Amino acid sequence: MKVLKIGAAWCSGCLVMKPRWGEIEKELPWLKTEFYDYDESPEAIRQYNINESLPVAIVLDDDGSELHRFEGEVAKDDIRKKLEILKNQ
Amino acid sequence: MIYAKSSKYLRISSWWLAAVYLLLVISFTLTSVTSNASALEAPHSVNLYMFWGDGCPHCEHAKEIIAPYAKDHPSVAIQGFEVYYNSNNQAKMRAVGEKLHIDASGVPLIVVGDIPYIGFSDTIERQVISRLEFCSQNDCPDSIAEVVGVEKPSSHSPAKDSVEESGSDVFISLPFFGDVNASQASLPIITIGIGLLDGFNPCAMWALLLIITLLIGMQDRKKMWLYGGIFIATSAIVYFIFMAAWLNLFTFIGHIVAVRAVIGVAAVGIGGYYLYDWHKKRSGCTVAGSQRRKDVFTKLRSMIKEKNVWLGLAGIAMLAAAVNIVELACSAGLPVVYAGLLSGSGLADWQHYAYMAMYVFFFMLDDLIVFFIAMTTLKVVGIESKYARATRLVGGILMCILGLLLIFAPQVLLFS
Repeated sequence: MKVLKIGAAWCSGCLVMKPRWGEIEKELPWLKTEFYDYDESPEAIRQYNINESLPVAIVLDDDGSELHRFEGEVAKDDIRKKLEILKNQ
Repeated sequence: MIYAKSSKYLRISSWWLAAVYLLLVISFTLTSVTSNASALEAPHSVNLYMFWGDGCPHCEHAKEIIAPYAKDHPSVAIQGFEVYYNSNNQAKMRAVGEKLHIDASGVPLIVVGDIPYIGFSDTIERQVISRLEFCSQNDCPDSIAEVVGVEKPSSHSPAKDSVEESGSDVFISLPFFGDVNASQASLPIITIGIGLLDGFNPCAMWALLLIITLLIGMQDRKKMWLYGGIFIATSAIVYFIFMAAWLNLFTFIGHIVAVRAVIGVAAVGIGGYYLYDWHKKRSGCTVAGSQRRKDVFTKLRSMIKEKNVWLGLAGIAMLAAAVNIVELACSAGLPVVYAGLLSGSGLADWQHYAYMAMYVFFFMLDDLIVFFIAMTTLKVVGIESKYARATRLVGGILMCILGLLLIFAPQVLLFS
């Protein structure tokens, strides 16, 4: 399972989510994450259809299929719970 | 809430509190300067009739000129009639219009010895003073006295200022502030409240975050403060100019009832939009306008890399001005309504500008906090959108209340 985090330097909400994801990554060492800057990764933005708001975090399974999408600012505990549920599915 | 918290931040916030307190003290002082504009001695021989509107800036100007004149000339008695809210005085004004065969629909309307003067300007000021001097030395007709029910003045009557009708001052005791006149405190409180609410509007925050992100990558701390400081200062100046333009427009038009009603309706409309925006429950940042942001980012990066500091500063200042001008459309509601309120306050010009400076300070407060935290901790912090949403709710309700008051009970918002 992998999480694609998409944000931008100008987005206040992305800055809010950055340390939350940092903590989650420390607490869940099995979790793989990648970050895409909205302005610098147009292909990823098109591929994952990011056209309304940021930040977005997309959870993919091992085959690259989308399992879940976190949009906007989400509480750390909610993200953790969802990721653990998805992992155990 | 600001995400990062540190002891440094707490020390900074205590400085902010001190600054806020100082500003409040200054603002109360500003307001109290005008509270006793005139205390007239009126040993009578000439009646000056003045029909005025509570909140009309030209009337306020006329009073500022005439009241000291009457004080220095005991032969002049001022008979003032407020006509915006007093229907009896409105009837008297109409009767005066019929008597003098003039269109008595605008204020201030001044009558000296049957000669009417509508409006107030430097020319009218000279004419009124000249007429008063003439009538002090000559027997001028005073047929208006009968129409408005005023007796021809007699000598040595007790001093009375009927233009500045005494208000009902209410004093409240506040910690640190002591006894505060509630009617005078309302403008500073509204200034701080609307300024803070406006500040949480994230319209131009993205540009500040961009520049902070770029500055943090620099090794030169001095340059970081300099470039960030010029960006914030330019943003504040642009906002101040924008508000001053609206203030001057409202003052130029005059604070007539129709204009006040239009501002009130606009405030209700903007408040309704804020409440709609709050109801949408949007979280995060909208990606619309990303190409513009990318262009700004590219330009900012090239300016920060500029070896000539002065060129870099000039470039950042110009870019900050451009960004803020573009983003003004996004956040125009609150400052425009505030400028409308201020124009009706009856304060002197310099006090208007002092209040606007106070507004801009509180408008910029969140930007300043984010900037100072970033510069001292070298971490960019964001403000959760739920707080911006909360300000949409509070701002929406406040705007609706202000708008309704402007339409139905504007005297509550007239601070002079």
